[in-house]
Amino acid sequence: MIEIAIDLIIAMGVVGLALQTILGASVFRAILMFIVFGLLMAMAWARLHAPDLALAEAAIGAGITGALLLVTWRRLQAMDGRTPRVGIAARAPWLSIASGIFAAALIVALGWVSLSLPAEPAAAGELAWQRLPEVGVSNPVTGVLLAFRAYDTLMEMGVLLAAWLGARAVASELRPGALPGPAHAEVPLVGALLSLVVPISLLVAVYLLQAGGSAPGGAFQGGAVLAAGGVLLCLSGRLEAAERSSITERIGLVLGLAVFSCIGLVMLFMGEPMLAMPGVWAIYLVETALLLSIALTLVLLFAAAPGLRRAP
Amino acid sequence: MNTTALIYLLTAAAVFGIGVHGLLQARQVLRQLLAINLMGGAIFLLLITLGGGAVGPPDPVPQAMVLTGIVIAVSATAFALALLLRLQDATGTSELDPNDGA
Amino acid sequence: MVHEALIGLVFLPLLGACLAVLPGRFGTRLAIVVGLASLPFLLLPVTLSVLREGAWFYTLGGWSAPLGIRLYVDPLALLMLWMVALIGGLAAAHAWHDFRPGTAAGERFWPLWLLLTAAMNGLFLSADLFNLYVCLELVTLAAIPLIAMAGSATAVRAAMRYLLLALLASLAYLLGVALLYNSSGTLDLYLLPDALATAPAPVTAFALALIGTGLLLKGAVFPLHVWLPQAHASAPGPVSAVLSALVVKTAIYLLYRVGLWSLPAGLLADGAMLLFAVLGAGALIYGGVLALLQDRLKLVIAYSTVAQLGYLLLALPLASLAAWQALTYQMLSHGLAKAAMFLAAANILHAIGSDRLSDLERLDQRTPLSLFALAVAGVSIMGLPPSGGFLAKWLLLEAAWRGGQWGLLSVLILGSLLAAAYVFRVLAAALRREDPSEAEDAEGISAIGRRQATYAMLLALLALVTGFAAAPILELMATGIPPTWGAA
Repeated sequence: MIEIAIDLIIAMGVVGLALQTILGASVFRAILMFIVFGLLMAMAWARLHAPDLALAEAAIGAGITGALLLVTWRRLQAMDGRTPRVGIAARAPWLSIASGIFAAALIVALGWVSLSLPAEPAAAGELAWQRLPEVGVSNPVTGVLLAFRAYDTLMEMGVLLAAWLGARAVASELRPGALPGPAHAEVPLVGALLSLVVPISLLVAVYLLQAGGSAPGGAFQGGAVLAAGGVLLCLSGRLEAAERSSITERIGLVLGLAVFSCIGLVMLFMGEPMLAMPGVWAIYLVETALLLSIALTLVLLFAAAPGLRRAP
Repeated sequence: MNTTALIYLLTAAAVFGIGVHGLLQARQVLRQLLAINLMGGAIFLLLITLGGGAVGPPDPVPQAMVLTGIVIAVSATAFALALLLRLQDATGTSELDPNDGA
Repeated sequence: MVHEALIGLVFLPLLGACLAVLPGRFGTRLAIVVGLASLPFLLLPVTLSVLREGAWFYTLGGWSAPLGIRLYVDPLALLMLWMVALIGGLAAAHAWHDFRPGTAAGERFWPLWLLLTAAMNGLFLSADLFNLYVCLELVTLAAIPLIAMAGSATAVRAAMRYLLLALLASLAYLLGVALLYNSSGTLDLYLLPDALATAPAPVTAFALALIGTGLLLKGAVFPLHVWLPQAHASAPGPVSAVLSALVVKTAIYLLYRVGLWSLPAGLLADGAMLLFAVLGAGALIYGGVLALLQDRLKLVIAYSTVAQLGYLLLALPLASLAAWQALTYQMLSHGLAKAAMFLAAANILHAIGSDRLSDLERLDQRTPLSLFALAVAGVSIMGLPPSGGFLAKWLLLEAAWRGGQWGLLSVLILGSLLAAAYVFRVLAAALRREDPSEAEDAEGISAIGRRQATYAMLLALLALVTGFAAAPILELMATGIPPTWGAA
């Protein structure tokens, strides 16, 4: 009974925050509501026996996405002063009403359809549990990500790389990726806090990576936590934008994709199927490479810069 | 189907609809991106709830799909935000005029 | 060897992208050789194996479906892969001069181009619905920055609109896939027909509607085409070529795969097929009329894409061998002709600094080769003999005639007339003599300009040659007819 009450509270909170996100009076408020929405979603994942997702949602969905949204909003604010805003007439009220009706119909249809789904477990999921021992890890999600559906994970690293390349390709020459607003670097407390938080983020990232084999965690969650440490260093002015990316950074960006592909190709030429993992060590090796690439890519995306360097 | 699954399925449907409405009626690109992210979250919730541990152990395949989906969502959002900054830089506005496209 | 070649089609461009991210000119050049120039050589053994043994699967990681992910190569996939290799390759050769490796622009361009190539190859080979989602997103996120790289406010705005709609489309697709997974228990396209036979019908219908809508939006099928014209017209030339010839076709290809391969026979009602035909007819006529009304060359070509995509849906209700050959041949010939036109348009824009039709006079003297390429490709777009476009449209007419589809027949004829009108309008503008006094001042065209014109000409010639040397391609396509049509 108490569990259902918790579910109801989370559900109502999620729906309420979603509404607040689209209705928020200011964009800033909408972003804040979205971040809280992400945190509440993490609780929903925990309730739904998906602790891996709870970690990922809190670190990536709410944390990194939220930081990206907020910093972009601040950059837009800073640019607003320089370039005049062109006003656009408000959307016609009939459009709002029509879209509301459409959305409501969609909710009803989706609710009805998903309730009429069969309750029996999916064939693929059953097989994943049966064949998990062959992989050598005991966390089934890691097994799916790094073995059964490793190809998805590899392509996903391509997507992450494309996002950074795309962001670089469209960044205007005029605007260096500097972070606007006051730097809090001079406040003594910040330094103390950083010297505590950043090593902890590294520690947590490493823990999540090695735990991922048997417990909730893995490269993605670890990478996001490490990225959070990097974001803090950027925000506090310890790291600043560089005009070009160093060779180390470039290697780091493609490390995940390259290591993953190369292990796959080596296995292929040894007569095994493409992307077969030669052992648990290979899974950890790939995950380490993924973690480094993910963390670096996310920090560079946050800094909106080709590279980073230590502030003088 | 147990009550927990029922609650979260309806939540997912509601959030998806809210996201669609938000996307259709928002003017600022930033808000449209928030709406798209809401829709993504709703789909993830649906996937996990349907593959949830209502009977037996939870299905790890949707969990892995959602983890992949979350990383793709943050990638797409990050690129969209970079493009938005460029839009503001090039056109002086962070909104898309609905009339200039056709 | 043939397995390694198949894997290389995806992984060599992917590794090429990694290589191109590293600094220096050398890495990028090597990446282009490894990731792009290698593709035809990888495709040869794969093609031979399909010719000899028919379509086959490759199981990644040794984890058999439905648990793992499979690759599937059949005649349709081969056709698309060859298009990526040839059209993408010639467009890349064209791009080489504007985005030289080692320059700042080249450094931004080539990794994305290689990722786009890998993503398209991956998409054409993948047999897994969720993996296809990842590939679709990779195609989108690699293609859109290339549009915005043109830098103009129009290009950035078009890229933004494209991105938002593409993300919406992906989400619709993903929601459909989520529902299908839970009703059928598998994500494998080719296991779905059996698995769906026992699934609840309303769920399947709703999921298919979502997947269909998402793909029609990504494929810019009328009336969901609004994002296409500006995006394709404002991108850099080689990017426009690849967007129109290949990228929109990824969604149409996927529509065929889901609609014609992964459903139990008879599930897709005649009503759905009729809807596709109506959308196709709408696209053909609306796109044709709009192309006729544009005053910029690249916009004419972009609206022509909206129209020509109509053919790819129009013939779906016919469900016959001739219709299948017509569809696939239209896929190929439109790709070649449209890429040629966009490259030629880029050359013209480059040479005279404008692509307004009113500025195009005396092109036969100013950019003769590019104009010739435009005209030859135009012949294929209009569907005049002897061209690939003619053959595709003739097969379609024949199929419609045999099926007694008089409405379809008249739409086809109207579409061809419209195409003829907008192509001739462009040619007339290009051959105008505005002011006789400045008639003979042929401008010197650089060596690079000549080379870029050659790439456009090569594509246009390929579009023409496919009209003569069609028999082997059509025969191969006949062996790859969708299972749901095979009985028809």
